[in-house]
Amino acid sequence: MTPSNDLKTILGKLQFPDDAQVMRQIVDQTLQVKMRMGRIKRKIVVMSGKGGVGKSMSTVNLALAFARRGDKVGVLDVDLNGPCVPKMLGMNGQRFQITPEGAVPPVGPLGLRIASMEFFLRDHDAPVRWKGSMELSPVWLGMLEMNVIREFLADIAWGELDLLLADLPPGAAADKPPAIANFLPELDGAVIVTTPSEVTTDVVRRSVVYARDVGIRVIGLLENMSGYHCPRCGHESDLFEGSVETLASDLDIPVLGKIPFDRELSRSCDAGTPLVDAIHPIAKRFDAAAQRIVDCLNFKQILAERL
Amino acid sequence: MKFVCMNCETFMLFQKVEKPGEGSLGVEFRCPTCQARFSMVTNPGETQMVAALGVKIGGRTTVPEPFELTRDTLKEGECPVPAVASATSVAAPAETTATGGGSCPFSSMVAAMGEGTGQTALEWSAEALERLEKIPDFVRPTVRAEVEASARKAGQTFVTQAMMDQYKATPGELSWTPDARQRLENIPFFIRPMARKEIERMARERGRTEVTLELMDQAKNAFAKFMGG
Repeated sequence: MTPSNDLKTILGKLQFPDDAQVMRQIVDQTLQVKMRMGRIKRKIVVMSGKGGVGKSMSTVNLALAFARRGDKVGVLDVDLNGPCVPKMLGMNGQRFQITPEGAVPPVGPLGLRIASMEFFLRDHDAPVRWKGSMELSPVWLGMLEMNVIREFLADIAWGELDLLLADLPPGAAADKPPAIANFLPELDGAVIVTTPSEVTTDVVRRSVVYARDVGIRVIGLLENMSGYHCPRCGHESDLFEGSVETLASDLDIPVLGKIPFDRELSRSCDAGTPLVDAIHPIAKRFDAAAQRIVDCLNFKQILAERL
Repeated sequence: MKFVCMNCETFMLFQKVEKPGEGSLGVEFRCPTCQARFSMVTNPGETQMVAALGVKIGGRTTVPEPFELTRDTLKEGECPVPAVASATSVAAPAETTATGGGSCPFSSMVAAMGEGTGQTALEWSAEALERLEKIPDFVRPTVRAEVEASARKAGQTFVTQAMMDQYKATPGELSWTPDARQRLENIPFFIRPMARKEIERMARERGRTEVTLELMDQAKNAFAKFMGG
């Protein structure tokens, strides 16, 4: 054979099948996510641009509120590097049950099904460390974490769920929210957690714009630490100067609720003994917020019935 | 990505994957005609990036296991079941033809990663873009998205000043009759702004300049129809 040494001519003669099936593997991964998520009626992410505003605490208590309504609820702790949902629910040390059908999540209070990176870690204080050169982590870490999140969405055998709440890691400019949005094409929306602090609302404002920019519907704002709830007299006083109303008005977003700082709530989260009883004033606040989330998601139905 | 033997004018065949050194990956190919062999060697960063994709090099030969990437890649994790083969250790040569070429570990990868929403990007006129830049940055993406959405709806691919005028004129023009305004009070206060927006959108679509009780009836029927009622 006389080589022409002309690549264009050579390629013109050859077929180009994708026999490595890399694309097919990626498509299969996506289909697996869709198949899993298809069995879940509603999917909501809880996010914020700011860290330390109480996303996980809000996620846990909203999940309990929905469970009190009789919903079958799953909680996905997407904070890979700082998982704390299991601790708040008293579920540290539990493990997924790996079956051919998927990883069966441990069941917590009020029947909540919980998935968290915590369930893969040997010790409670063990950090999440990945194999591979950390010096080169900027090259691969983001992609790896996204694929780990994809596995959390694809491989957990939730069963039939009325609602899946995903607790996202802090930061709006990170790659997680758009990745989640892409993985969840039928995402119902995002609950944004904020505090009244001006510093926080400034950052949260950006995260709302960012969420909308990547096509995530913002359901509403949940204000945490909206005041201090005195355990003795029950009086509420302000912790910060600001308020969520300005932000809500500027961005045209409903306020879903206001949760005061409460020592009993704080203690319950630290001790892993969540406020499951609807009688507690804080639980009532979360019940009201859950109702508002439902109303926001069903607002066209409300219009049809009540207009 | 594929490799071509330029002398034999054919795709080279994937042979195996091996680990020649710590963090390194060697992907061996062979020309089916002249039997020439070569190995493409990756550095640790490239190896890790390929592993991070969660795909099996050379094609999948086993059924995926739950959390195989997570369990394989966690350094100090606790694996409840034996770990599956690592993403970089599968090395079964694929069945290929001489013209079909060998398995490529990276084919389609770049295309898959670069896939967007499938929506064609709209072009903006310089004037329209200049006006967009005057809007505060925290609402600019929302305005851009809404203007582009209405442009797409109208079948346009180019955003002009006129469209910006139309967008600007849209809110705040409608008036509400007192009884219509009163009826809006039936809606819980925290979703009332959403309701108002929907009703006004409907009014505009129907060429109305005022929201009346009659329009509220139409809106209610439309929402009931939407809900399958």
